[in-house]
Amino acid sequence: MSGDILIVAEHLEGRLAPSTFEVVSLGRALAAASGGVVRVALFGQGVRALAEALAKLGVEVLLVEDEALAEYTGDGYVLAVRGLLESAKPRLLLAAHTAQGYDLAPGLAGALDLPLVTNAVGVRLDGSRLVVTRRLLNEKVQAEIEIASDRMIVGTVRPGSVKAASPAPGGIVVPTKVSIEASRVRMRFARIERPTVQDIDLAAADVIVSAGRGIQKKENLPLIEEFAKAVGGVVGASRPLTDMDWLPKTRQVGQSGKTVHPKLYVACGISGAMQHVAGMKDAGLIVAINTDPSAPIFEVAHVGFVADVLKLLPATLKELTG
Amino acid sequence: MALNIVVCLKQIPNPDLQFQIAPDGKDIRRDALNYKINGADEYALEEAVRLKEKYGGRVVALSLGPKRVDQVLREALAKGADEAVRIAHEDSGTYDVGTVARLLAATVRTLPHDLVLTGVQSDDQGSSATGGLIAGLVGLPHASVVTRVDVKDRILEVATELEGGLQRVYAIPLPALLTIQFGANTPRYAPLPAIMRAARQPIREIAPASVSLPYAFGVRGLSPPIAKGHAEIVTGSVEDQAKKFAQLLREKGFVRR
Repeated sequence: MSGDILIVAEHLEGRLAPSTFEVVSLGRALAAASGGVVRVALFGQGVRALAEALAKLGVEVLLVEDEALAEYTGDGYVLAVRGLLESAKPRLLLAAHTAQGYDLAPGLAGALDLPLVTNAVGVRLDGSRLVVTRRLLNEKVQAEIEIASDRMIVGTVRPGSVKAASPAPGGIVVPTKVSIEASRVRMRFARIERPTVQDIDLAAADVIVSAGRGIQKKENLPLIEEFAKAVGGVVGASRPLTDMDWLPKTRQVGQSGKTVHPKLYVACGISGAMQHVAGMKDAGLIVAINTDPSAPIFEVAHVGFVADVLKLLPATLKELTG
Repeated sequence: MALNIVVCLKQIPNPDLQFQIAPDGKDIRRDALNYKINGADEYALEEAVRLKEKYGGRVVALSLGPKRVDQVLREALAKGADEAVRIAHEDSGTYDVGTVARLLAATVRTLPHDLVLTGVQSDDQGSSATGGLIAGLVGLPHASVVTRVDVKDRILEVATELEGGLQRVYAIPLPALLTIQFGANTPRYAPLPAIMRAARQPIREIAPASVSLPYAFGVRGLSPPIAKGHAEIVTGSVEDQAKKFAQLLREKGFVRR
């Protein structure tokens, strides 16, 4: 088997997903170690410009254009990958661990009976084995697992765990024909829906004070609001709170909500699950308040208070105003 | 248009706990854990029961694990599942999602299924892969991170959530598999009489199918995560902490006085 790596690029509405650049970076490093070639598969229709942007990373871009690939469907992408595998035998197929990536990778691995490992924070080759680092149990345990196979291994890489690839020479776009029987794409894309609620734009805020499950009940939100006001900020939230409708969806920080870069981010009773951290880790100053000293939020925070937020915020407000 | 629904449920160690690593380094210590139903799976179960209530049909709750897992299945029966099936399996074998999915898929094939539901991810392993794998193995179309499900003339219309809050909507013919997102609905509480009834209902225990894996899988070892960085931790009484917090906010210019 070759040491080649095949990456499936992700794009939406004419833009490449930032996570694709990270996967390319990992793929380049792995291919360098295994003496293989990195190829990036770009599936779509009328996406030549995106292929050229990817080629600037110094990789071979397999551009597969087909009406059936105009919008992402799991079925369409599995058929496209299957087509590419007729003429190539990569050792590893990588995608980002995004809503699209973890839709595609397991579906592909199941349909083609391939080994699969997802949500990797680290990937390396050890002889014939693929060694993958994963995070378990709310980020509190790290596991190293290994997979050996004579078949292509399918993997997804957690966004933010690798630095994005920078431009490099030698890239090329290779238009590639894959025949996709439209009748085998069982699902049909209907439309994209956008949130309609009008609310403040969290992404534009300089200071965000976010509440998580640690605030215990909705009645404690005014405390968070009061504190946010005192530091000139607005209130954000972790996913569980917006799921319970304590705050509108527009206030959700994280992978499925807003990605924010404020000067100050105060995480109040937020454990720091990957889905939340992905949306706020690049804030200028991160202050975390949590009763659990092992909460993963302390890993990304600059300053941490192991305290009950319902006690610390009132005491701090008193300090600020008293 | 009655629907035969199979909902896959996982019992996980409560992820809010602290964990220790077992002496052999290959698993967490399991002697003092408490277990609960996986968060996203509660939404999958609720969606299954709602669809049954709306369109008629049957819900089979399917899980995999030791006897202890029956607790999750009884919860499912109390909330409206009609039948519960547990594949007998030990915890140490659940690190490989491919094994778990192949065992579940083997059972799904034997059950009538117009619709198979799973949660979007488990809070212990976090693979977000069981549903998609089952779909691929069984040959069903699937969609992930589903926040809304409608059915008309045996065609599903589902909204799937993307990063940044956009939703992508698909039409998918039955039979199909969906992985259900947190917050897709509001899971119900089981009424007491239903809990009492569920306690007496049988749970069908089946032996795991023999599955052949196209790979060899191994856990090399578990460790506490290597922190990329760590916060400077402020200690002391709440009053001391508050003083330091206020001082920090002043120094950095976030409050003027």
